[in-house]
Amino acid sequence: MNARFDELKNIGQRLIRPQTPAIAVGMGTCGIGNGADQLFEAFRTTIAERNLDIQLRQVGCLGYCADEPLVNIYFPGKPLLVLHKVVKRDVTAIFKGIEKGTLPKRLVLCKISKWDHLSTVVEYGEGYPDIPEWNEVPFFKRQMKLIMRDAGLIDPSSISEYIAVGGYAALLKAVRTMTPEAVVEEVKDAKLRGRGGAGFSTGIKWELLRKAPGEKKYIICNADEGDPGAYMNRNEIESDPHMLIEGMMIGAYAMGAQEGIIYIRAEYPLAVERLTNAVKQATELGLIGSVIPGSDFSFTLSVVKGAGAFVCGEETSLMSSIEGYAGRARPRPPFPAQKGYLGCPTNINNVETWCNVPVVIGKGSAWYKATGTEKSPGTKVFSLVGKVKNTGLVELPLGEPLSTLVYEIGGGAAGKEKRIKAVQSGGPSGGCIPADKFSTPVDYESLAEIGAIMGSGGMVVLDQDNCMVDTARYFIEFTKNESCGKCVPCREGLAQELELLDKVVNGKATQEELTLMESLANSIGDTALCGFGQTAPNPVLTTLKYFRNEYEEHILRQHCSAGVCEALFDALCVNSCPMHMNIPAYLELLKENRLEEAFESTIRDNPLPGTIGRICHFHCQMRCRRETVDTPVHQGEIHRYLADTIYKMGSEQKIYETLMTEKKPATGKKVAIVGAGPAGLAAAFYLVRLGHDVIVYDANPKAGGVLRYGIPAYRLPREVLDKELELYKALGVKFRFNKRLGTDIHLEYLEKEFDAVFLAIGAYEHMDLPIPGTEYKGVIQGTVLLDTLERKSRVSVGKKAVIIGGGNVAIDAARSLWRVGTDVTVVYRRSRDAMPANKLEIEEAVAEGINFEFFTAPLSIKADAKGKVIALEVMEMTGGTFDTSGRRKPIETGKTRDIACDNVIIATGERVDSGLLEREKIVTTKWGTVCVEPYRYKTNRERVYAAGDMVSGPSTAAEAMGLAREAASFIDFELMGVKRFDQLFKTFDYSHEPPTEIVMTKQIEPRHLSVASRRGNFQEINRGYMGDQARLEATRCLRCDIRLSARG
Amino acid sequence: MEATKSPYFDTVAYDAIIDACNDSPGRLLTVLEEAQKITPHQYLPEPVLRHIAKRLDVPLSRIYSIVTFYSFFNLKPQGDHTITVCRGTACHTRGSKMLLDDVLLRLGIKPKEGETGSFTSEDMRFTVKTVACFGQCALAPVIAIDEVIYSNVTSEKLETLLKKLASRKVKS
Ligand code: FES
Repeated sequence: MNARFDELKNIGQRLIRPQTPAIAVGMGTCGIGNGADQLFEAFRTTIAERNLDIQLRQVGCLGYCADEPLVNIYFPGKPLLVLHKVVKRDVTAIFKGIEKGTLPKRLVLCKISKWDHLSTVVEYGEGYPDIPEWNEVPFFKRQMKLIMRDAGLIDPSSISEYIAVGGYAALLKAVRTMTPEAVVEEVKDAKLRGRGGAGFSTGIKWELLRKAPGEKKYIICNADEGDPGAYMNRNEIESDPHMLIEGMMIGAYAMGAQEGIIYIRAEYPLAVERLTNAVKQATELGLIGSVIPGSDFSFTLSVVKGAGAFVCGEETSLMSSIEGYAGRARPRPPFPAQKGYLGCPTNINNVETWCNVPVVIGKGSAWYKATGTEKSPGTKVFSLVGKVKNTGLVELPLGEPLSTLVYEIGGGAAGKEKRIKAVQSGGPSGGCIPADKFSTPVDYESLAEIGAIMGSGGMVVLDQDNCMVDTARYFIEFTKNESCGKCVPCREGLAQELELLDKVVNGKATQEELTLMESLANSIGDTALCGFGQTAPNPVLTTLKYFRNEYEEHILRQHCSAGVCEALFDALCVNSCPMHMNIPAYLELLKENRLEEAFESTIRDNPLPGTIGRICHFHCQMRCRRETVDTPVHQGEIHRYLADTIYKMGSEQKIYETLMTEKKPATGKKVAIVGAGPAGLAAAFYLVRLGHDVIVYDANPKAGGVLRYGIPAYRLPREVLDKELELYKALGVKFRFNKRLGTDIHLEYLEKEFDAVFLAIGAYEHMDLPIPGTEYKGVIQGTVLLDTLERKSRVSVGKKAVIIGGGNVAIDAARSLWRVGTDVTVVYRRSRDAMPANKLEIEEAVAEGINFEFFTAPLSIKADAKGKVIALEVMEMTGGTFDTSGRRKPIETGKTRDIACDNVIIATGERVDSGLLEREKIVTTKWGTVCVEPYRYKTNRERVYAAGDMVSGPSTAAEAMGLAREAASFIDFELMGVKRFDQLFKTFDYSHEPPTEIVMTKQIEPRHLSVASRRGNFQEINRGYMGDQARLEATRCLRCDIRLSARG
Repeated sequence: MEATKSPYFDTVAYDAIIDACNDSPGRLLTVLEEAQKITPHQYLPEPVLRHIAKRLDVPLSRIYSIVTFYSFFNLKPQGDHTITVCRGTACHTRGSKMLLDDVLLRLGIKPKEGETGSFTSEDMRFTVKTVACFGQCALAPVIAIDEVIYSNVTSEKLETLLKKLASRKVKS
């Protein structure tokens, strides 16, 4: 055998670094699913046809699944080049490139100059200075390849390549030079822990079997990777099957077992094939099935295919299954080490645990322990999947924070404008970890502490479009179906839990049932027979712990913000619109040329349709089915068009009259509204139509709040706002201006005089910026600047202003000053992507030539002797690691400089005036917002309600109006004792036929004022759609509100 | 559907499978898996199960307990084409539920009360199944049509795939 071993080693080395150019295609299941097999075939035929002297082989997968198919190109003596996203079309270019010695730039991901296979280092060569080394690519940068040491670089069907990179050396070392006890000791000392679940010490488990009495002992590899969403074991076997065999053999030697079994999922045909082939090769070489020369160890190994049952991941079920029974759990003790497979002492370990063994023995425990944490040494392979940009298999030292995995390696959310909400770790037995806990280190203890588990290492990233209740329901449905049915808590308990969850997702549950759900989950966990049942309630428990608000939203509001629970909405855009505007209705009515009705439909849902149509963040567009075809429909631009057109034609009066005649008879109830901003106005619109006597108080001389005193006229012309406010007066809303809460009026008075008081004063206080010099002349708050511009139509500023901040106020201030001729620079301490401002607004500002300095943080404001601003001192920053907001933490570089200026505008955020609230005896949260009963909007004061930014914190006008609408509905119910709110709306008759043809046009851009004509004035930039544009845009809608099922 | 109609079937192929697996661990599972594979319409008809029980000398009841426990086994004949939709976590978060509904709807299959996991059209042309995970999670959502895997499937992509499938001739 020894001679043959060396011979194979030589062959392998020549295959890995041949004398000719070489192509290797990554052919894991994921590569093949992306066309790697066709690619391989294309390479093969070209080589054969043209009789080229190029070596072609298949290799495993490097783990960067999002960029599959991956192809390695090698020129003798040069670094290995890794190409990504290669398609068949690229084949010709690749051959040309091989001829010329340079490959198309677009295809090259990185180079590998040398690779550490741990027992051997392969030196490919030097060169290609412009191409990044593999570990400089963000996806690989923080990774450490212990388990995936050969994956993607060797041919998994070749034992010679495995031997060439040092394979089976650790086995020979163990059986020839170490006693079995010493091997067990080494594993124990390495503190290797089981990689499939709770992380029990592998060494201790081995010792148990070693010491167990009995002639015949078995070892089993659990390759029944049943955790949906985790697929590292598949790749480990597909890419490097001999690594698993070697690990098992070392284990068998150490524990005194003669026979091994690998139990593998039938759903992994390629892994089964490669594994079976590897066993055959090892047998032919004489490693398996005969005594290994130089030792007295012999071992046999068989491969058994599982038949699809998750519960078989549980040890005792797995053994039943191999014995030829249904996979039902048995109570423990006896433990497998005492009485396992066929009654013999047995050890079961997961694939990845076995794969660690050759490294521990080959490199020694001391080396091994240098990676990872004190209690959890080594690495773990994670499958990073779900709503993250770079999906794939990631191997990280244990103890790295989750943020590294999700943001640094994963590249953050997959969708441009999406926010990551949570990570589900550990599969059906695991838990959901909210984004604000992403600083948690990933190791067994830390994950357990927050209610999750490591499990097999599945990390499913969830974003704002995933509903946490649905996620919990999904897992309970899964575990309920997979329960083996032996014990009652698991069988019956999970079924009942599922029923309760079904009620929640259908909006039919009560608060009491929520409590019941929680206690049921706890009792299943406490009383189920095996680990499967004990951990099955984890997804419910963690979502209840971290996302209770989502459950409450389903129960109290019958709403699913994520737009997942289908019973609770018709169209996604309607569900996402804070005011639930019936978007399909007005689009269809417009298409049918029924303009007035279309407008009427919008105004009933959104009492400021022309205004909001201009300034909305367009929540609707973030969830538009059309996006799967090209770009979302511009629903907002269309309702703006409707409003503009109706006002131009003067036909709004007719609709106003309809609303006036519809007004409910006077109820005799008086309602005070404090704040005439978006929230106050929306509440007034509905309450007055319900017949209440509504008086709106505001500190300003005119109505509109932030719409008037915060949003510059170039975004919202005041005529539009004034026009839309006419309706309020017509409906009988009374305004009391120049009345400030806390100064001119007090809650005590309002409470006495009115039947209900609705607070909607927003969040207008500016945040303090803790730098020296904010008291100097020339320092202005961003909100104050915008307010002054509105009141006085001018501000006194110097030639050059610096604006601090990255939010909408900063951008509005910058663009306003630019218009009056000031030279403006915006400084922001993070990157452009991290700016919270509306992306479109930032783009416009850049187009206007406003200067931005990113990664620049304010240090101090400098002034001359008279206390007049002369400069802003800043510190240059650089991007550090990711924080829990998913953005890079700005880190000081130590480099400072002065930006000369006459004014410094501070726009670093707004907050609720909590001092005022305290004085008015309103209870606030720790963030300073008003404490209200969830979805009831009741404050601690009798008859006083609140909604909008003062409850939610700074948000958008549409969101504030949406909340106010709900509050109005509840206030009316409290005043009248009956539900009347729905009577304010009207259903229109329109076509319910989905389009037969998809109109192939991308979102239509409305007309815009050219940059050149913007300077020196505040004219509106967006001129809106023309009639045919609006109609065409409306026909782009796919009418996903018509449920497929209705199509019959 | 010959095999259901007639209790007589050629045992040679089944015997070959049984003989090949003599006494290795997990024999029963392997025999059943292989037997299902060679049976037309990919299922395990009763006569086949009886034959296996007799040859391996295990009670028929135990065989039934196995084939009903594991999702891999079918007791009913499968359609000419099988469309498998992954219902794993990664696929679920990327909309596989909608995809499954879509597939059923487009093939005109109405699941009966209480039916889960596997649905066959009345004309026996299509079977729609779900699977817990293909191990292709990075490219979710994933479906397989007659064992060929397709990743990143959208409702539009699905439409094209199914149209192509429907135009294919019925397997004889
Ligand atoms: S979850 Fe669908 S392939 Fe894994």
